[in-house]
Amino acid sequence: MNKDTIILGLGNPLMGDEGIGTHLIEELQKQADSYPDVNFMDGGTGGMQLLHYIANKKKAIIIDCALMSLEPGTIKRFTPDQVNTVKKLAHLSLHEVDIIKVIELSQQLGECPDEVVFFGIEPEAIIQQMHLTETLMAKIPDYINEILKEITPEK
Amino acid sequence: MSKNIDINVKHLTRVEGHGNIVVNATNGTVEKVEWQVPEAPRFFEAMIRGRKYDDIQTIVSRICGICSISHSLVATKAVEDALGLEVTEQTDMIRLLMHFSEQLQSHVLHVGYLVAPDLFGAKSVVPLVSAAPDAVLTIIKAHRVANKWSELIAGRITHPVTLIPGGMSQVPSEKQLKDLAGSLKDIVADLVTIVEVVLSVADKLPAFERDTEYVSLGNMNPAQYTFYHGDIVTTDLDEGTPVNQWESVANEYVVAQSTAKWGKWHRKSYAVGALARYNNNAEHLSPLAKVVEGKFGLTKGCCNPFMNSVAQLVESAHVVEKALEIIDKLLTQGIKQEKVDVKPKAGKGYAAVEAPRGILFHSYEFDDNGICLGGNLCIPTNQNHANIQHDFEKYVPEFMDQGEDALRQGLEMLVRSYDPCVSCSTHMLNVEFVK
Repeated sequence: MNKDTIILGLGNPLMGDEGIGTHLIEELQKQADSYPDVNFMDGGTGGMQLLHYIANKKKAIIIDCALMSLEPGTIKRFTPDQVNTVKKLAHLSLHEVDIIKVIELSQQLGECPDEVVFFGIEPEAIIQQMHLTETLMAKIPDYINEILKEITPEK
Repeated sequence: MSKNIDINVKHLTRVEGHGNIVVNATNGTVEKVEWQVPEAPRFFEAMIRGRKYDDIQTIVSRICGICSISHSLVATKAVEDALGLEVTEQTDMIRLLMHFSEQLQSHVLHVGYLVAPDLFGAKSVVPLVSAAPDAVLTIIKAHRVANKWSELIAGRITHPVTLIPGGMSQVPSEKQLKDLAGSLKDIVADLVTIVEVVLSVADKLPAFERDTEYVSLGNMNPAQYTFYHGDIVTTDLDEGTPVNQWESVANEYVVAQSTAKWGKWHRKSYAVGALARYNNNAEHLSPLAKVVEGKFGLTKGCCNPFMNSVAQLVESAHVVEKALEIIDKLLTQGIKQEKVDVKPKAGKGYAAVEAPRGILFHSYEFDDNGICLGGNLCIPTNQNHANIQHDFEKYVPEFMDQGEDALRQGLEMLVRSYDPCVSCSTHMLNVEFVK
């Protein structure tokens, strides 16, 4: 468990493209043997649990559905300092979580990984279904390639 | 004195169905008080229909990231009821351990991350780190231990993978259980610290009461504080109601101001959650839980909804002490991997467990091959919505003198005290790139 790098796939597979993170982590896990220093984790909609998953790791890679005003299906790599969160929370429920704020809390606690990288994927449809839209399905190999580049040492 | 009030706490983000608070008063006369829940309906039934009996608990574990153990447990129990499966004492004890881990995880998260900022006058837990660093660190430590506990028994922190109809796909080793017992003994002191911290600001909890019907599990034989077994009980009746009659308890109905269904039983609304469990089971608390109860002056029959967070602290102490007893018993009896043999058959099954935020009901029907023909569920928060509305209606006239800002803050705290689940289905990022 105490591996230097964690890749977390987040999202809800009951909500169409919202679950892209969990679908991708399932694919990535098939190649886990090639990456002994990497912990692959399906984080689902655990929200604040993310704080504990990433604590004191050297690197955290977070794959999540992201509203970025880009073309549906687009994958974009970014770091927390490259974005502003525009998510509005009512703070009425534990069930609303802004992952960007969780990273902020982790930083404040002094246990945030040196490197946090997001792979945001723009959804086409957030609807109640257990599969992805065709648009995202077709791009899964591209997403996997893109993410694996992040953990494959440069030759 | 404020004569005019216009509160409209609307949260417009479409994808996460936040609750809206609307209050209007003119010249001191209250015209409108509404708790609106624009939650998207969930097509839960369509997702489970046609699925095999042993897929159900995995699918429903995704309904909610905070209560995923409760959803998986209640689904597994309902499937077992439908298929006529009995589980062993060891399975029962391990599942209870799993269930207690979620209670602690969720209660600490709620009190620490959502309620404490209110009491300390902080906007959220992030600014609270600098205002009360030791308190936040203790809360995070306790939450982390609870998470590791869930991970050990459920195979994952959220969305458990070890539950199967009829038993467990894996069980912890004796060494793992001994290590867990060590961690739990260690966090007792941390829980006491959290209790003292909350106690130091408990005067910020509004003194508000409304006579309420409280519904939870109870009626255990032998009697105990139950989260998992027993009948459905209410503070309005002496006898229990069998779990398979849950649909006649929840009595779900549709209202114009909410797309989430509401529920009622003997009165126009009822409440579920830690305070309901406490009000129905308080005499069976563990010794440390009774100490916590005494510190806050919490007594059976309490009808102050803000005390739900205090009841959660009481229960946190209870589940840690009870877990230590279970671990002791498992270690004494010896733990082994048990074989599970399930033959599907047609039937309908019902179950209830106490999710951290209240009683949770599921039911399923299967054909001869164990294929799901349909199902139904009722989450605690839907059972609480009507009660929140009725609390609002009493709270607003009583606290209107404090002015609009204090009233808004009080109503938000009131909603938070119910620890609602109004937006659990999605957590996606919503960002703009820095230019």
